[in-house]
Amino acid sequence: MAASILEVSGLGKRFGGFVALENINVTVATGERLGLIGPNGSGKSTLVNCLSGALHHDSGTIVFDGRSIDGLPAYQRTRLGLARSFQLPKPFRSLNLLDNLRIPLLYTVNARHGMRLSDGAIGERCHALLADVGLADKARRLPRDLTQVEMRKLELARAVASAPRLLFADEAMAGLSPSEIEEILAVLFRLNEAGITIVLIEHIMRAVMSFSTRLIVLVAGQKIADGAPQEAIRNPEVERAYLGE
Amino acid sequence: MGAARFWVVSFIVAVALLLLTRGFISNEYYFFAAYQVLQFIVLATAWNILGGYTGYTNFGTGAFFAVGAYTAVVLHKTTSLPLPVMMLVGGVMSGMVGFGMGYLTLRLKGVFFAIATLALAIVAQTLIVNWDYVGGSRGIYVIRPQHSPIYGSYIQYLYSLMLALTWISVAIARTIERSTLGLGFNAIRDDELAAEAGSVPTLKLKLISTTLSGALMGMSGAPLPYYVTYLDPASSFNLSYAVNSVAMPMIGGMTSWIGPVIGAVLLGTIQQLATVTISSALNLLIVGVLLIVFVVIAPNGIVGLVQARRRARIR
Repeated sequence: MAASILEVSGLGKRFGGFVALENINVTVATGERLGLIGPNGSGKSTLVNCLSGALHHDSGTIVFDGRSIDGLPAYQRTRLGLARSFQLPKPFRSLNLLDNLRIPLLYTVNARHGMRLSDGAIGERCHALLADVGLADKARRLPRDLTQVEMRKLELARAVASAPRLLFADEAMAGLSPSEIEEILAVLFRLNEAGITIVLIEHIMRAVMSFSTRLIVLVAGQKIADGAPQEAIRNPEVERAYLGE
Repeated sequence: MGAARFWVVSFIVAVALLLLTRGFISNEYYFFAAYQVLQFIVLATAWNILGGYTGYTNFGTGAFFAVGAYTAVVLHKTTSLPLPVMMLVGGVMSGMVGFGMGYLTLRLKGVFFAIATLALAIVAQTLIVNWDYVGGSRGIYVIRPQHSPIYGSYIQYLYSLMLALTWISVAIARTIERSTLGLGFNAIRDDELAAEAGSVPTLKLKLISTTLSGALMGMSGAPLPYYVTYLDPASSFNLSYAVNSVAMPMIGGMTSWIGPVIGAVLLGTIQQLATVTISSALNLLIVGVLLIVFVVIAPNGIVGLVQARRRARIR
């Protein structure tokens, strides 16, 4: 297994004249729990979009698992094992929870070499995934019957259904109560123990600090800190960005 | 019921229907009217593959339908191919138009895509109007062969062909609905970004959807010149095809294969009855009124009403 699962070098993204990301260099080690923070508009979500393929970056290279994925469409990146959850949950509204999970299973796991699952096995896997996030009893419900925290769990379960090696959790906890945050964190810890490298994009500092083994700080499209969480937030530039002069 | 079994069962139903109608009905008019209803089942089913399953509204049904019809006209003038082959070629031609339309989805979504399909229909009509070989704007007469290739009159032959196409279309729609492909279509309808993140190859699936939908519409248009024997752009590109193929799945229900069938049988029959008993000008008014009624009281169509009742009983 390679020591680093993701290597981003010199990544840049512009929207017209606005520089959203500039010369971002990030290495994610296999099995790591990486936190990504930054003020609103600092480019966190743009970075996730570029890495997951929802947007195409203008410059730089992305190497995932020893292979360049520049220019690959999003669905192929997911197939390779790079999954994401969305900041605002995007469930498939007309499908029940089981079918929501069945889609990534059918299109990712079954599309990989030598991994074809039978219908029964897929059904079992969907039930198991729902049970993992505590939604087992709502398997046949529609997403509109879910609460906000359940929706976040569904979002995570769907990302995990594609059997990823690396997961970007984009603000999976925004707007949740402290106890709900604990629930989501517990899910994320379990996933990490199961061998999934996780990049957590989050505003809630308490959650980020307790989860991450390393922290990256983005400000105005540039990486200004990268290191152990306690050191990173004590970096003078980070303090200036968050608290002002 | 598995997909293979549905093909067999629906085939038996179609054959039974064919034998019963051909055996017991002698009035030619009934075949003439039934052909219309069947044609609308095909159009509504084809529209629903793109509009209902995949979530892209197509107002250009008339274009696909007419591409099929005019392909048959060209083949009629240049070759002596049998009609089923003409239908296949018509399907290929309109399938190609559908494939091209699929690339529109790269840039256009929702209402903008719908407007573009309307524009597509107008462009296609303009081309035909200015193409003298197929009659241009004054239209063209198509002489039916003197004898039907199979037992019975020519209109009975056309009816039999359309029944076969109906069987194929409905069985295709039903197969897709329960397949990985259908689930992928639904994912695109619900959220394209999330579908892509769930590893659904959205562009490929959208191209499959537009091509298949267009091809079936074209196939149903190919026998039209022989059905009406006089084809002109105004009638073959008629807006009523677009309106009906949108309204029928909406009234029947867009989530299931049976929805467009119910909608087409209901609306198609009512329109035929109105044409004979009241006036043919009333057709679109009936469609419009029914559409408004359904949008208000049953936005998910007749199938949606049944499903909601069933779900309420489970709870």
